[in-house]
Amino acid sequence: MKERMLKKEAEKTPGPMTDFLEFKRHLPKERILLELVIVAGGFVLLAPILKVQRVTDFMIFCIFVLSFDLLYGYMGRLSFGHMLFLGAGAYGGGLCIRYITKDPLLAILAGIVLAGLLAMLIGPIIVRTTGACFALINLAFNQVGFFLVLSVLRKITKGEDGLGVVPAGLGGLNLGSRPIMFGFVLFFLLLTFYVLRRVTTSPYGYLIRSIKEDETRVKFLGYNTFLYKWLTYVLAGCLAGLAGTLNALNYGYVNPNFMDTHRNVDVVFAVLIGGAGNLYGSIIGGVVYMVISNYLAIYIPRWEIVLGMALLILVFRFRQGIWGYVRKKGARRSIPAEIGVERG
Amino acid sequence: MLNNNAILEMKDLDVAYGHAKALHDVSLSIKQGETSFVIGRNGAGKTTLLKTITGLLKPVKGSIIYEGRDISGLPPERISLEGIRYVAQEKKVFGNLTVRENIELAAYGLGEPMEQALDKVIGLYPKIKNFLKLKAGQLSGGQRQILLIGRALVGEPKLLLVDEPTEGLAAIVIEDVTAILSRMKGRVSAMIVEQNLTLVSRLADRIFIMKEGKVEREIADRSALSDIRELEQYL
Repeated sequence: MKERMLKKEAEKTPGPMTDFLEFKRHLPKERILLELVIVAGGFVLLAPILKVQRVTDFMIFCIFVLSFDLLYGYMGRLSFGHMLFLGAGAYGGGLCIRYITKDPLLAILAGIVLAGLLAMLIGPIIVRTTGACFALINLAFNQVGFFLVLSVLRKITKGEDGLGVVPAGLGGLNLGSRPIMFGFVLFFLLLTFYVLRRVTTSPYGYLIRSIKEDETRVKFLGYNTFLYKWLTYVLAGCLAGLAGTLNALNYGYVNPNFMDTHRNVDVVFAVLIGGAGNLYGSIIGGVVYMVISNYLAIYIPRWEIVLGMALLILVFRFRQGIWGYVRKKGARRSIPAEIGVERG
Repeated sequence: MLNNNAILEMKDLDVAYGHAKALHDVSLSIKQGETSFVIGRNGAGKTTLLKTITGLLKPVKGSIIYEGRDISGLPPERISLEGIRYVAQEKKVFGNLTVRENIELAAYGLGEPMEQALDKVIGLYPKIKNFLKLKAGQLSGGQRQILLIGRALVGEPKLLLVDEPTEGLAAIVIEDVTAILSRMKGRVSAMIVEQNLTLVSRLADRIFIMKEGKVEREIADRSALSDIRELEQYL
């Protein structure tokens, strides 16, 4: 009884929610704008080289990687079940288009809401755990979701066959046109990047990075860490849901493969390749992984072997991924002289 | 009923790690504005005592009365918001955040405006101004300790718990830490676990000597001690 009362009291613990919403503007607007131009410019330059549809695919994957990195790279929680939210977003959007409205924006909203609600619902169980337990509980929920859409809900999801997803135009723009879909997805990628850039450089961002380092010490600063872990989990779920709906719109269908647990490996590899805990790392990792999986497969039948070897090199030689390595090389430390004198 | 002017009072406290009891029937009281020290050999239960007050460990028996309210079993974040701050022995800062971000995180959590919190920490140790943009992980042990004490003072704490603040520090840094602790004396109640008797002799209003999980002796009036070296037998 006392335990329950204490738990209730802990959940009532006030946190700095107003400050969480009041993101501190450490980054000047000009800098964020420049970063958005760089990200957009990179994909626009890649489009004629790698083909527009492929780069559109890469960008959707990058949104998914960014959402995963928030959970793993920033908060230190490795999930093996993140595909659940990608699938939820895809089905949310797909079912909305099939049964409610063909408006692509409403479909995206439906996808994000469904994935977010799912994360809200299972989050309180999942975020209480850490390490292997966190990874495996996510995997278990992902597997449950996969079988739900495959068989239990097949009357509405059409089981293994999946659903066709054909949205209406967007104010006279035909999303079936590849360049328009490219621009549509690019907009959402930039929006995701902007939101995450603001979030991760705000006090809330420090908080989740600190939870990764030492959760107990964060509690000593008066934070109800459970609440922030849950919020982060929900945000990551919503962003994965966005990637899922965009995927469904881009491919024009959704089937249980969108929720296949085996494909979690892709996002884990992408984050490790690019460098965890950095938005640029996520984008670089997403693109590099997609290039490897799209092009290497043409020349090498068992291309996964090469990927495995590349990962071994990463683990032993470049633990912080490509972006981490670049930053390390470029960093010029400027430690004030007093530090050397006062080492205790 | 709280002792006259006591900010914290522990009564018949038992704490255990599984089946192994670490504290037996500990009863003690800390007065408002007082700097009390806890000394004793390794394994005497000093750190366990602090961890129990901060909510990291739950007592098996007994009560912890803080400002007239039983806080035993409350989670650490609640206890922190009540005004009790803990500076742990390991001198762990958030190494991936800058010094400024470390202070900012505390300011947001504890509801103090950032500039005010920053001024407070800089007032305590002006040299820290040079390090604000550095990753806290790059600081020396002494600077980390100072940052941790400064961060613990954010948000008007009422009781500060510090575990071995001078352990492993160079003599010159110990002087800095001592100066900071003496500047805080009287402004905030403190309970400090320490083995450095010079520091104890300079700052202690009250000394608790712990042995095998019990408070063996309490020295309420330090002037009663003819020589601080008398205490060496307990270390």
